[in-house]
Amino acid sequence: MKYILMMNTMKAGHGVPDWPRKDLQAHIAFMMGLNKELHERGELVSGEGLSFPDQAKLVCADKNGRPITDGVFPESKEFLAGFWIIDVDNQERAYDIAARISAAPGPGGAALNMPIELRPIMSAPPQEMV
Amino acid sequence: MKYILLMSGTKAGVEGYHAWSKEDIEAHMGVLRRISQDLTESGEFVATQGLAEPKEAKVVRGEKNGVPVTDGIFPESKEFLLGYWIVEVPNAKRAYAIAGRISAASANLPIEVRQFATNEAKSR
Repeated sequence: MKYILMMNTMKAGHGVPDWPRKDLQAHIAFMMGLNKELHERGELVSGEGLSFPDQAKLVCADKNGRPITDGVFPESKEFLAGFWIIDVDNQERAYDIAARISAAPGPGGAALNMPIELRPIMSAPPQEMV
Repeated sequence: MKYILLMSGTKAGVEGYHAWSKEDIEAHMGVLRRISQDLTESGEFVATQGLAEPKEAKVVRGEKNGVPVTDGIFPESKEFLLGYWIVEVPNAKRAYAIAGRISAASANLPIEVRQFATNEAKSR
């Protein structure tokens, strides 16, 4: 079963977090270690970190199909900071991995306990849409 | 440069989509398939996925002892990811043009364009 785990922790305008350098390094080392472990278990399909929200754009098509870009977002909007796609035996395993990501170390090495949104991935579009 | 194009919508928006006529849904899916085909032919396609319905979504936190706590309660206003496209293109302008095509195929829904952190690392 494939799931996507989403870290939606960023807010509009945010850039690199203002953490001490060694705390940022510990956070990144934790994520790299987890990715290596998931890869070795054959559970990691893909994972990426996204650039910070200060570079995000919103694109809409105009009447002629041309792109209109905008970079103004509501303050309440949650921005995707990174995601993991995993292929696991069951939902419980997906929850366990999400909890480990949630508890990644933050400033001073304390667990962030950030919320991780977990969504099943459609293996194929619903029959009526094909 | 790699970009991710994110299509999001609220639960109410997803219900609205289900009320589309069969022909409209087929036309929408047809254009999206065509876009994926074009991106594959131009060598810009990396990946695309549709996500299962927002009602299947859960939010997970780690407890102090690392045990997962799950919840599925979200504010009505929350935008859920419906699907995404990952593309590898020479510049942001091209990513915006692709996002514009996807938007036009999807009732002009806004598409969020984000670049991958690895792009920044490369340009540093």
